[in-house]
Amino acid sequence: MGPVSILKYFGCAALAVAAGLFAGGGAVAQEPIKIGLTVTLSPPGSVSQGVQVRDGAEVAVKMINDAGGVLGRPLELIVEDTQGIPEKARAAVEKLITRDKVIAVTGEHQSSAALAGIEVAHRYNVPYVNTNGWSDVIREKGYPQVFNPGNFNSRVAIAAAETIAAMGAKNVLAFPENTDYGVGLAKLIGDVLKEKAPDVEYRYETLDRAAKDFLPALLPLKANPPDVIVEIMLPPAAYILINQLYEQGIAPTSKTLIYDASGIADYPDFWQNVSDSAKYMLVFGLYHPKMQLPELGRQVAEAYTAKTGFEPNRLLFQAADSVFLIAEAIKIAGSTDPDAMIKALEGIKWTGARGEITFSTEKGGYKYHQWLDVPYVTFQITDVNQPVKDTKLVQEAGQPIDLSLIERPN
Amino acid sequence: MLPTGILPVPPFATARMLALDLVINGLIIGVFYALMAIGLSLIFGILKIVNFAHGEFYMVGAYTYTLIALAFGVPPWLALPTAFVAGVVLGLVVERLLMRPLYSGYISWGFLRDEYAVIVTFGLSLLLINLVDKVIGPYAYKGPPLTSVSRISLGPVIVSGHRLVAFAIAVAVIVIVALVVRYSYWGRQIQAVAQNRLGASLAGIDTAKVSAFVFALAGGLAALSGGLLANIFNPTPDVGIFPAVKSYVIVVLGGMGSIPGSIIASLGLGVLESFGGVYISYQYRDTFGLILLILVLLFRPQGLFGERVREV
Repeated sequence: MGPVSILKYFGCAALAVAAGLFAGGGAVAQEPIKIGLTVTLSPPGSVSQGVQVRDGAEVAVKMINDAGGVLGRPLELIVEDTQGIPEKARAAVEKLITRDKVIAVTGEHQSSAALAGIEVAHRYNVPYVNTNGWSDVIREKGYPQVFNPGNFNSRVAIAAAETIAAMGAKNVLAFPENTDYGVGLAKLIGDVLKEKAPDVEYRYETLDRAAKDFLPALLPLKANPPDVIVEIMLPPAAYILINQLYEQGIAPTSKTLIYDASGIADYPDFWQNVSDSAKYMLVFGLYHPKMQLPELGRQVAEAYTAKTGFEPNRLLFQAADSVFLIAEAIKIAGSTDPDAMIKALEGIKWTGARGEITFSTEKGGYKYHQWLDVPYVTFQITDVNQPVKDTKLVQEAGQPIDLSLIERPN
Repeated sequence: MLPTGILPVPPFATARMLALDLVINGLIIGVFYALMAIGLSLIFGILKIVNFAHGEFYMVGAYTYTLIALAFGVPPWLALPTAFVAGVVLGLVVERLLMRPLYSGYISWGFLRDEYAVIVTFGLSLLLINLVDKVIGPYAYKGPPLTSVSRISLGPVIVSGHRLVAFAIAVAVIVIVALVVRYSYWGRQIQAVAQNRLGASLAGIDTAKVSAFVFALAGGLAALSGGLLANIFNPTPDVGIFPAVKSYVIVVLGGMGSIPGSIIASLGLGVLESFGGVYISYQYRDTFGLILLILVLLFRPQGLFGERVREV
């Protein structure tokens, strides 16, 4: 080999090494941090919820990436459809962790699916931010990997029971869907009512979320309608139930009002599916345009409306907060190490889209790893096709309900 | 607090009123079941297959009615026939592209015939559900009502105006279909093919045309049913699963291929579910039909109005 050939050889080798270094260095710098998102994008689960959660998470990821990412790396969202079915949720989380190598899982908005998903996250020690699974059992499991910045059944139960007691209702019937969330909340409302209003006669009738005709469950109410009907179902079954209550003249009436414990009035397809039947409905609301939002919440709302054309809703903020929390945990931990992220989340005190979020570390109940101060309001729909911003706030966040504001049909 | 699933037993006078309510609403829902089940029964009678995509014809009708009325402002009374036409067209296309192989090589099919039918109709069902989910979207759409009267009192019984109008249309359509099948030229051809396909073809009946007619009619009836119920059962991509499952139960109960059997089984199932849902448990409402199905299969496997078939 002559000197020219040797030079060529070393030159080529140097170029190859340099190219490899730059390419490799670039890849390392740009390699995304993967976050898994499990949502319902096809029936029988609530697709309405799933689409909102997915949109909210995508808004948050875009905002984070536009601001330079996390630790210099962009976030990448990997979405899996669970159909709201526990077995599929379990398989989805397994796939996200083992095949996609996500560093955290979030997005779940149905309790039964969340209960299946957290088992896998717990086994692999991967942080799991539960966006909207309300069942207290998710918290009672006591898994250190699971954090809950969303609402929880005990909170709704207390709110519903306080409203029912304040209204002076004597006879209350709840219609929960046949899921962990629905039945769990119905039982909790009964337990809280026993303490707060022991004279109230309360019962619940579980309905199949895949059913279409609820009349056999409703017709016996015509002879002796309750004072309040608590609706604990998700769309589309919730819409059908509300419509059939109205068709039969059971509610709303001067005697009977519907209390929506699921907070469905701000769903994009709400008015397309209910019309007259939703007037006078009292709604447990985790978001209302008249609520004060932090700056981040206003930015998220604007980005969401620009992306989808829809008005903001509570699931959007919950989904965005879930993603932001994971990003904050990585920043505080300085890495994607799961133990460091879990420790960071346990000690976090961070102002998100809905307020300052901290997680309780009190073990042995629904409070574990729960943001206890999730803000809520109660509002009443007073007209058909009424946007949420025009509904009547009968209970502001942190205030008692104002009964004088509640309207009833003549 | 009362335990779940138990509603208080009403006093006697109220119970009589409730019974009337349950009978009327049970018959109404039964007629809707019948509209779906007749098509399924006709297809079985002619092709001897179970169409697992029958619920998706219902779904197509529900969406056609709703979207044409909402998106183009077409009056509901015009949108309803459009739903029927959509079902007919889909039925013809499916028959020509997917079902024709079942009887074009009638003799040579052998045992694979049933497997083909199951796979093709299941595949079609999944295709249509996912197609609508992706193209139109997953959200529910409530169809417009056929009448502006929201509630009508039938004595002490209150029925929604739309439900009552839809019921009347469904009854009229069922009567017309029954008369057509029983007395018309096409109806007699259908009966002949249902009795013996080979014999009918030897007698000069174009069995392919009859099959196409039956598939189109069945698709149209299911789609019409979807259109009629779009205001009550807010369509989503999977909305056809519920009525399809009921139809399978009804067709077996009534006797495979028997139209009168399907009608009577539909009405009976509607009333049974109404009463059972109140006096036994609403949660087990869907199991009443299945229990009845098991009993019928055990003691009268040909169905209530079916005929025993001997094969050699």
